[in-house]
Amino acid sequence: MLSYVAQRLMLAVCLLLAVSALTFSGMNLLGDPLVNILGPIAADTENPKSIALIEAAEAEYHLDKSLPERYVRWLGDLVRGDLGVQFSSTGEPPVSNIIKERAPRTAVLLVMAQSLAVLISIPWALLAASRARRPADRISTVTSFLLIALPNFALAVILKYLLAIKLGWFPITYTANDPFLSRIYQTFLPALTIALPAAAVYQRLLRTDLITTLQEDFILMARAKGVSKWKVLLRHALRPSFFSFITVFGINTGALIGGSLVVETIFRIPGLGTTIVEAIIRDDFPVVLAVVMIATSVFVLVNVLVDILYSFLDPRVKR
Amino acid sequence: MSQTQASLRGGPEPLVSVRGLRTLFATERGLVRAVDGVDLNIHKGRSLGIVGESGCGKTVLSRSIMGLLPSTAHREGSVRYEGHELVGKSVGSMRRFWGQEMSMVFQNPMVSLNPVMRIGEQIAEPLRIHLGMSRSDARDTALQLLEEVRIPEPKRRLRQYAHELSGGMRQRVVIAIALSCGPAILFADEPTTALDVTVQSQILDLIAERRQDRNMAVVLVTHDLGVVAGHTDEIAVMYAGKIVERAPTNELFANVKMPYTRSLLRSIPRLDDDPHTRLHAISGRPPDLIDPPSGCRFAPRCAYAREKCHVEAPPLQSTENPDHVYACWYPVGSAEFVEREEELVATGVHVRGRQ
Amino acid sequence: MTAARRGLGFGFWLSISWLIVISLAAIFAPWLPLKDPGENYIVAGARPPYGPSSTHWLGTDQDARDVFARTIFGARTSLVIGFGAISFGIILGGTLGVLSGYFRGWTDRIASIVMLILLSFPGLILAILITALLDRGLATIAITLGILGVAPVGRLARASTLVFAERDFVTAARAIGSSNRRIIVRELLPNVVIPMAALSLLGMAIAIVAEGGLAFLGLSVDEGVTWGKLILLGAGTRDLERAPWISFGPISMLFLTVLALNYAGDRLRDYFDVKDITL
Repeated sequence: MLSYVAQRLMLAVCLLLAVSALTFSGMNLLGDPLVNILGPIAADTENPKSIALIEAAEAEYHLDKSLPERYVRWLGDLVRGDLGVQFSSTGEPPVSNIIKERAPRTAVLLVMAQSLAVLISIPWALLAASRARRPADRISTVTSFLLIALPNFALAVILKYLLAIKLGWFPITYTANDPFLSRIYQTFLPALTIALPAAAVYQRLLRTDLITTLQEDFILMARAKGVSKWKVLLRHALRPSFFSFITVFGINTGALIGGSLVVETIFRIPGLGTTIVEAIIRDDFPVVLAVVMIATSVFVLVNVLVDILYSFLDPRVKR
Repeated sequence: MSQTQASLRGGPEPLVSVRGLRTLFATERGLVRAVDGVDLNIHKGRSLGIVGESGCGKTVLSRSIMGLLPSTAHREGSVRYEGHELVGKSVGSMRRFWGQEMSMVFQNPMVSLNPVMRIGEQIAEPLRIHLGMSRSDARDTALQLLEEVRIPEPKRRLRQYAHELSGGMRQRVVIAIALSCGPAILFADEPTTALDVTVQSQILDLIAERRQDRNMAVVLVTHDLGVVAGHTDEIAVMYAGKIVERAPTNELFANVKMPYTRSLLRSIPRLDDDPHTRLHAISGRPPDLIDPPSGCRFAPRCAYAREKCHVEAPPLQSTENPDHVYACWYPVGSAEFVEREEELVATGVHVRGRQ
Repeated sequence: MTAARRGLGFGFWLSISWLIVISLAAIFAPWLPLKDPGENYIVAGARPPYGPSSTHWLGTDQDARDVFARTIFGARTSLVIGFGAISFGIILGGTLGVLSGYFRGWTDRIASIVMLILLSFPGLILAILITALLDRGLATIAITLGILGVAPVGRLARASTLVFAERDFVTAARAIGSSNRRIIVRELLPNVVIPMAALSLLGMAIAIVAEGGLAFLGLSVDEGVTWGKLILLGAGTRDLERAPWISFGPISMLFLTVLALNYAGDRLRDYFDVKDITL
């Protein structure tokens, strides 16, 4: 029997194959693939330049072959890093280049957002649990409820208004050519916008688990040993309460990916989010496909890593 | 001085003296009087058993003496330990007593150990907090402690987690933790209830051994008279938040005075009973601790109660043996008691001679 | 016992009241005494946008259109999408879940795989993909958002069904020869309905928010006004500086509605003590 880690990895690979097959089929079966690839040019059978493009597309995408064969070829290209040529009406650079340029910015945004969310939620949950049901905790509950209910684009608008425009603490836009640190600073507000609702979700869950754990006998035992209140919280209560948190962290990454799409648009960060939005408006399907695959792969991988991490952290899980 | 005080005075200076201890819990339905006026002495190197049904307040009592209560609890009275008055001390100042001067072993070893911390870490913790030991010293001491509680392969166990040990072994680990800083008092709250019968006696013997070795006081809290029979020097019987009888163990079994205690004794099944002997049970349920009845609290359930019992609460008085006190108007052996016993035997409710 | 047992609470009924009010306002919008959402109420000599006043309760936007009226009309589309999405999600996801939990075996395995694959897509990405490939009509958007809900709803329905299918009253029904269909409809569904009701409220909130997100990306319905689109129209930096009410009007309406849905759903969940609802 394979080890747990190997099982999870295999599952991830299978999922990715399924996702890619689904996406690929969808793109090629729903409507005319030629239209999907070339947009309006596909209908323009008079213009010799268009015809040339059409023929090139047919060759490039092997449109004469069957769907499964095309899928396999595409997959082969994908694995080798060739995401296809972007056939917009203007003949832009290959898809890979665009992805390579823009993906890091989204990556930075996501990593910052999740880190902020975790950094905010843990102390928040600890404080709320240690003052359970007292005024401070009730305020905290209401706050997190409000944060969860508020959509992230609304929060983005509000934060932009308050912190960037009214108070001027943060810059309003993102400039791609600025030095690295300056760009990190510019990413902070967008990351915070995504991080706050996520932090509220995490802390709500962690707080509940902490309160449950604090009722357990081994906590009383720790107190009976003379351990101080904060040490009890940090060393004894936090560790066993972490597990739902970790699971939700993985699942919530999907929501964060969605959130980053919206936030990039509002704060005008040229990342994958803006890429896919522009691509859709232009009917540029290779790009859409590429971004969908990347986003989904990241999501699947994060969840697999979370599963594996979970099995390492909980000594009760058999590996 | 009252007879109770006289009985408490006898013998060497006690390690802990409890006077008029009351513990009240603020709940939605009202103030629960879980411990309602308890006087006790705990002596160095001796074992005291606190016995009673579920809900009589014995667990709360042991935790009240130690001070390990939730914030909804309110204590009154006095608990003196080595010249310190413990009632009224803040949690912060109590912390230096917990683990070091007094320790507690809890009922269910399945849940008394942290499931995601290694055993060794959990044993080492009080050593490092109270005795300031280094990591390696603490580990060596932990090893010694595991040997002291007779856990096989102690070195391997240090790195294991709670779920990898059996129930009996877990309880031994809990005892090891409790003993780690050399406390003067060990509170054992139903230490064997959650364990297999075969393991129970092992654990009780272990506690007794350690008590002798370390000249430690032990307070054994349990509902099971069989547990206290062989392992205590003195027994205090609790009912509805009060102590209703207290005596040296042998004296209690030989010369029981309070009908409640007698019923408890009678409810232990005996090997030499006839087959199909009906199990003796005490009918009724313990009283509501928010609004306890006036008079003797056991009166509503007592087969021997008379009018006075329902009206006036009996004080603790001693027998010829000053160490044996009880609270009853018509104790076992008194005229009224014998009279009622005859009636009950005649109507077939009680079986003669079953003691 | 916790507060859960002491009735659903004032907050719950307040939330439900708000939802009823906003739904009625949305349904009867054309007949209510509102300003025309499409008309430009330009005042000679003053350039729009105009701030909130007694004539325009939430002010006007850059083209002098009344924000309040547009927000109410926006409610029509947003609520319809939310309702349509969750209905689709519940019907499809609920059916899958119940069948999967009741029949087990291959039905369960296949349904679980389908749900697992659906869950592997980040939500918004899937929505974008589908609407990109199809069209952006009202029905498509609603169904797409509904598809997002199929997996969580299905999971919950399956879990509830599994729990109830083991219970004695189902075994008893089988023992007297009830057909599967009868058992599902008459014994199981009534019990599964309660967790689903809580879930539907929460799901509707999510669908409305998701539509808002899509609108913000410019990818929502082609026709008509939604809250998301309205917020987007006022979200530019200059507009926020000069005329924040253009966004904040619809933001408040959206927020209150989503808050009400979330709170009511949460209360229902607590009251009936259902543990399996996670979205």
